[in-house]
Amino acid sequence: MLQILLAISAVLFCFGLLATLTRRNAILVLIGIELMLGAGNLNFIAFWKFSANPEALTGVMFAIFSIAIAAAEAAVGLAIVIQVHRRLHSVDVNQATQLKG
Amino acid sequence: MHDLLQRFLSLPWDQLPQWLFLIPAGIMLLAAAGAVVFRNLIHCALWLVLSFAALGVLYMALGAEFVGFVQLLVYVGAVSMLVIFAILLTPSDEVSASNNPLVHFKLSSAVNAVIGVAVTGLVLVGLLAAIFFSPRAGGVTLPAVAPTLPVAKIGENLLSHTLLPLQAVAVLLTAAMIGAALLAKEDKRS
Repeated sequence: MLQILLAISAVLFCFGLLATLTRRNAILVLIGIELMLGAGNLNFIAFWKFSANPEALTGVMFAIFSIAIAAAEAAVGLAIVIQVHRRLHSVDVNQATQLKG
Repeated sequence: MHDLLQRFLSLPWDQLPQWLFLIPAGIMLLAAAGAVVFRNLIHCALWLVLSFAALGVLYMALGAEFVGFVQLLVYVGAVSMLVIFAILLTPSDEVSASNNPLVHFKLSSAVNAVIGVAVTGLVLVGLLAAIFFSPRAGGVTLPAVAPTLPVAKIGENLLSHTLLPLQAVAVLLTAAMIGAALLAKEDKRS
């Protein structure tokens, strides 16, 4: 059962990676990152359920903190996307090249 | 009403078959695929919300009810609203006359897409191989007593073992909120 959960999480991670690598819309890239974070959280919960000492709640604590940090990341990321759209009139990640060295 | 709730809660919830967790997992994976492949951003966002909700239900099915509710509150309630507002605030002009609802790639970005799919496939194969063929694969069994997640213990833990991370996250969330408001604010100088 642990292996099935890890496989589900791996497939979810790959959907997120696919969105991040192939989509050009910055919001879709952020959605992909959220999916990958969800896969990580699912791993934390799965390993907590199968851990030798689930009373310590380590995996659960990690998952809760990771959800909080993911929320902060989404807020800042989407604010950046809105600002980029205001300046470039596009959310295409290929056109945001002003910081390119 | 109260009687109904009591009867609902006293149903034999612990004796449900174990494979039931596959249902929310399947819905979650299908919805995640939908969030990736559609061209209309609003459709992507709605599939993403369904995926997050199913992930929350999956947490509950695995015994981590509190994390499931946190997932529902934070992702389905807040992050999805942020995503939808961001989509509505950034109208893109790439809507074409084509009726194909799925994403398709112009020739110029086809190389990008192929490289992305190849990298993703490699990662997936590597992960699955590590999961199913590692030397310790299959050696893990459920603990004799299924782990439970009393909310009071989470509170105790938050205020004892993880007090410093809790305060750090509080500062981080405040900073992120102020930073997001500053970033999204209209720049008056330009």
